[in-house]
Amino acid sequence: MKAWILRSFRKGIITSKFPGGRNENASPWSTPPVYRKGDQDPYCPVGAISQGKADANRCISCGLCYPNYEPSMDIHGSVSSVSVPALKKSIRIYQIDVGSCGACNLEIGALANPQYDMARLGISFTNTPRHADALLVSGVLTDNMREPLMRAYEAMAEPRVVFAVGACAISGSLLGKAVSDTLRIDVTVPGCPPDPFTIMDAVQKARGVK
Amino acid sequence: MKQSHMAFMESGNFLYTLDRFKEVPVLYKGENIKEALQEKIVSTDSSLSIFPYGPSSGGMVESVYFDILTQGERIQKVSFDAGFKNRSIKLSGLSMGDALLRIERMNGVHSAAYSSMFCHIWEKGIAMDIPDQIKYLRVAMMEAERISSHLFVASRLTGGASQNIAHMNILLLREELLRAIASAFGHRYFFGVNRLGGISRPVNINGFQKKIRQISDEYREIFHTLMDSRVFIDRLDRSAIIKGENSSGPAMRASGIKKDGRNLHRYYEGLEFKTITSDGGDALARFMVRSGEIHESASIIEQALLHSGDLKPDPEVNEGSDSFMAGGFMETPSGDASMIIKVRDGKLESTGFMSPSILNMEAFAGSVSGNTFADFLFGYESLGIWVCEMGDFQ
Ligand code: SF4
Repeated sequence: MKAWILRSFRKGIITSKFPGGRNENASPWSTPPVYRKGDQDPYCPVGAISQGKADANRCISCGLCYPNYEPSMDIHGSVSSVSVPALKKSIRIYQIDVGSCGACNLEIGALANPQYDMARLGISFTNTPRHADALLVSGVLTDNMREPLMRAYEAMAEPRVVFAVGACAISGSLLGKAVSDTLRIDVTVPGCPPDPFTIMDAVQKARGVK
Repeated sequence: MKQSHMAFMESGNFLYTLDRFKEVPVLYKGENIKEALQEKIVSTDSSLSIFPYGPSSGGMVESVYFDILTQGERIQKVSFDAGFKNRSIKLSGLSMGDALLRIERMNGVHSAAYSSMFCHIWEKGIAMDIPDQIKYLRVAMMEAERISSHLFVASRLTGGASQNIAHMNILLLREELLRAIASAFGHRYFFGVNRLGGISRPVNINGFQKKIRQISDEYREIFHTLMDSRVFIDRLDRSAIIKGENSSGPAMRASGIKKDGRNLHRYYEGLEFKTITSDGGDALARFMVRSGEIHESASIIEQALLHSGDLKPDPEVNEGSDSFMAGGFMETPSGDASMIIKVRDGKLESTGFMSPSILNMEAFAGSVSGNTFADFLFGYESLGIWVCEMGDFQ
């Protein structure tokens, strides 16, 4: 026990000041790319670039548009069509993987890391959709996950918010079908995978905390 | 608990139980214990029950379905269905670059290993020589990924065993590592770094080795403190024992078999590292192997980056229109992955792919019989199985 206490003192305070202050860090290419140079739109494998702009919801963070485009380092790219004040004090998240490569799952899980410490904002994970306020969906929607997804959604009580986390869930990216084909999405969280700060920012937006 | 487990096995009840079920088929992907066993067992023995688990469950990182046949708290059989979340990803007809984007996402958590393997195979196929600098940079990426992946497994095991302080400290280290990777390579999971013949964007490794060394040293401290915890060791000890070569990677090495694909791969030529083994074959042995590998990976990264240094992106290479057949392998953090590709006129015609998770999942399903229900999680998590890489990639 003594070793753990000493270690904690040595590490000091490591929890982010975000959202009260700025995010200390971001995964560059997980943030939406912005135009830097070049006369023509560069090649983009998912056709996300048009007329000097990259569509964050389609971008798969591949970096192929470099050096014409560069990461914006902006973690505020999520869009929420809802604001649910009832969730301001506490929001419980159920994560469902409907066909992901694993990276989005881990970035959602990263919110529990000491650097993000979601608990200080009243955010927590739950192991059952019955207790969840928010459904965070990651991956392209496979045929076999359609029913589990709908059953999880139907098990949730109102008010409930559905997040599409990452390019696969939002647009289907290169790999399959978007979740929005089956379920109404309230919040889109762009990135492949989205940076944990982007996910945290999205959760705050849906609660109307920003 | 282990004492009572031993006593149970030695009492003969265990053998009696197994004998009674010798008719029970070993069930794999796609089959369902419930249907297969309903008539044979369940109707004649009310002490047995079938516990369906998944496909979506808060306790698991990925969606996967298990049917668990139990008698009291003891597991008799497990079958799994990994087909729920599995994507069917078409690679045939694609150019190298387009296929690479998909291969990076076969398992996003091991994307450096998969993209390096694919680039290496294609480069071999067209007899393209890549500079040693690139080879070593790819090694550094794969080893950083290995540390991250092993830390993740360690965090799952400590979390499951309610070692909350250790759990948080390991998560903290992994997050520090991911941030260091992002600032050096531009992406926490290395997406988009590899390309045919080299790398696609600038890499800035300034301070990267130092950070890796710090993480490895801190993990060593955590590991030693954990090894003093009787509770932690008891939770993992003798859970899901796997023996022999029917598993891959750290799982196989944890059963005493000194096999590591890195010893045979030309990317690792000239780099010194130990192959870590253990002999228990259980979740504890797998944890020990992974922990040892974290330190070895840190040392490999230091050696590799001596040869590599900061790099500018390589000019885009014309993918050409060759026709060839080539194959190769890579030791991913979960074990040995291999791939064979057939290319016609510069486009993939067919692909054969083997992921270590397929082997490890089958080994897991076979290993938990006789364990208690509480051991299920430790057995599964200690194998570092990734369901995403068990999909259909053609
Ligand atoms: S990063 Fe890739 S997907 Fe995103 S805009 Fe650039 S080229 Fe398109």
